[in-house]
Amino acid sequence: MSLAIAGMGWITPLGNGVDSVWEQLLQGREASLSQLAEESADQSYKVFRVSDAALASLSPHPRLRRASVISRFAAAAGLEALQAAGVTIDPHNQERIALVFAISNGGVIYTKRFYRDIIEAGAQSASPLLFPETVFNAAASHLAAILGITGATYTLVGDSAVGLLAIRMAEDLMTNDALEYCLVVGAEEADWILCDAYRRWRLLRLAPPVEPFGEVARGMILSEGAGAVLLARNGSITVARTHAGGYYRKRSEAGQTLKAMLCELAGAETDLVISSANGTFIDKAECRALQQTVPDAIVYTAKPALGESVGAAGLWQVILGGQALLRRELPPLLHATPTIPLRVPASRMPLATAQHAIVLSSGLNQQIAGLRLSIQ
Amino acid sequence: MPKSIAGNGKSINSRVAVVAAGVVSPLGFGLSETVDSLREARDCITRVTRFPVAECRCKTAGQVPDERLLKEQHEANRAQRLHRASHMMIRALTEAMTQRSDFKPELTVIGTTSGGMSYGEDYYRSVRRHGNLRHAPTWIANYPAQKPVIDAQEAFGISAPCQVIANACASGTNAIGHAFECVRSGRYQRVLTGGYDTLSELVFVGFDSLQASTPEKCRPFDRHRAGMVLGEGAAILALENLDAARARGVPVLAEITGYGMSTDNFHLTQPNPSGIGPKQAMERALRSAQISPSEIDYINAHGTATVFNDAAEGKSISELFNGVPVSSTKGMMGHSLGAAGAVEAIICLLALQHQFLPANINFGSADDGLDLNVVANATRPAPLGTVLSNSFGFGGTNASIVMRKLEA
Repeated sequence: MSLAIAGMGWITPLGNGVDSVWEQLLQGREASLSQLAEESADQSYKVFRVSDAALASLSPHPRLRRASVISRFAAAAGLEALQAAGVTIDPHNQERIALVFAISNGGVIYTKRFYRDIIEAGAQSASPLLFPETVFNAAASHLAAILGITGATYTLVGDSAVGLLAIRMAEDLMTNDALEYCLVVGAEEADWILCDAYRRWRLLRLAPPVEPFGEVARGMILSEGAGAVLLARNGSITVARTHAGGYYRKRSEAGQTLKAMLCELAGAETDLVISSANGTFIDKAECRALQQTVPDAIVYTAKPALGESVGAAGLWQVILGGQALLRRELPPLLHATPTIPLRVPASRMPLATAQHAIVLSSGLNQQIAGLRLSIQ
Repeated sequence: MPKSIAGNGKSINSRVAVVAAGVVSPLGFGLSETVDSLREARDCITRVTRFPVAECRCKTAGQVPDERLLKEQHEANRAQRLHRASHMMIRALTEAMTQRSDFKPELTVIGTTSGGMSYGEDYYRSVRRHGNLRHAPTWIANYPAQKPVIDAQEAFGISAPCQVIANACASGTNAIGHAFECVRSGRYQRVLTGGYDTLSELVFVGFDSLQASTPEKCRPFDRHRAGMVLGEGAAILALENLDAARARGVPVLAEITGYGMSTDNFHLTQPNPSGIGPKQAMERALRSAQISPSEIDYINAHGTATVFNDAAEGKSISELFNGVPVSSTKGMMGHSLGAAGAVEAIICLLALQHQFLPANINFGSADDGLDLNVVANATRPAPLGTVLSNSFGFGGTNASIVMRKLEA
């Protein structure tokens, strides 16, 4: 089945807009840090957050009045993707556009606030305004309402592989010939409780840098934002192949599972790989699998610059892959050590003849996914 | 097989069989107990015991008893760490795999709304109150929504990729519908599907805060209905290409023939009172099944017993259908959110197999505004060939599936 990228949208801690963020990455810039604290805890955490300015151009909408920040990120990214493709949704096509929303931790800020009221002040203090926003599909619902989509709308939950699983699901949906487009959006918000949970799981680093493919897995920095990809039947960047995904049972088995998936995705030529290396155990798993399957491919991860955005991460990677093929260039890999046994871009790297990219997502909670992009 | 085009423009390659099923819910552990409860129109709603409800208006729910759920699985250390949702999923999958141990899915599509929420509650409460965080890694590892799915698969050596759909209360039906389309399109031969959800304090208090849950009995479609009661459970259906199943000599429990969904952009928590969302979902399911409304013999309604849901759903049913028997089984077992559509698909399957109309209990008098043929209070025998099941959720997601009995 022919599937192509018609438009993309990007909200990140390094700015908003595909071209703008891409330029920042090419310049070798890294997002600014914010500090998250919790009134009942001594430990604070450093994260990459989206600035208020990134959402300044988002028009007010009744649905966004009380909505979580995830919904705002998603709306901004989704609208950018549609605008980039020149697609407007109206009563004639609103049933022919599907929405697949990828998310991992959901509206955790509102969820935490809602539950805090219950445990601090009792059930009678629970806010009926907050509760609906704690539901996983609240952001997708707001986005569908803002865009006017009345057909298929799905919220897919998973770990940081969920973005690519959402693209796979979109491909499943597009087997329906009546669908013209599928908008795939991934979004996540950063909060203290998430940082604390990831730290207790020994996956978080208290301060940057994020060292990709390092000898020692020192951990990741959490971030937030959204990515959106509008899939159509035709376009210059094609989703040449998706993998249904899989999961590893133990962390030590992640490399083997990834290798099997890469073997299926690699094909005759793979010029570059957009990796999900984020400074955790998955770096080693990906590194070994890549060495064994596509040793000549150039490998890049933006997570040292942008952080780990979990539910949004897969979509960010697809955008990176698409941009690299379109612009024929890769940004420099930040904080890379010379001992990395992979071909990585130490500085801006031209890709004059690159045609095929693999996007590889290894989640922190056992899921993996991948796909292959090509340029016509 | 040449492609044909259904009314909704979809290419049809394959028919889709249900070849195995498993369930755990307040109605019972397994299909057999569930049939018994349905036949007796048993009220399985009890006072909530898992967390304090003294400050809530509603104090009852449909609950799966832990003493049975955990009894056989507490042997291993690992099992002790699993969330109740994992135990329910393992139970449901065990029953399905007992029927078809050779079923090797290429994909698993499961609906849920809250994953391992109670572990998230435990974690946050401990952080907030400077409590004991010794179990934090277990809570964190078992909190994600995909974990119970992976746990259940691992118990049977299944390594299929998981798509976990969280479309609020429509999740279970959306999961089955998407799985159905995956097989129907020919992209997959075998897909495992279903849904799960367990009671949690956060969600219970949430519905209570919205005054969507009732301190009284849950009375779907009744004139004096006052809201829902929550429930919990898990249900699994194994879907397979019908021709392939028949070629292997596999008994077919039922055929899924249609799926429709719509997105009603009216409000985050309330349906459009016109009933347009449910109506579109049902119309699309009928078109997908290539049948007319008159061919539906029974509707298992979403029927939460909230004033707004039942009014919108009832209106759309009465506009589309002419006197078809309708019941909501939530009065018996509560609303199990992401599991509801999957459990209710199993109820439809059992209704087709055993030829009965499941009861809509606690029904006193008809709502003047609803022209419905409600299966009031008692389950009764009826010849059923084709049935429709509805699920609607927060966010305006509406989903309907059509199932039919397949003669041997």
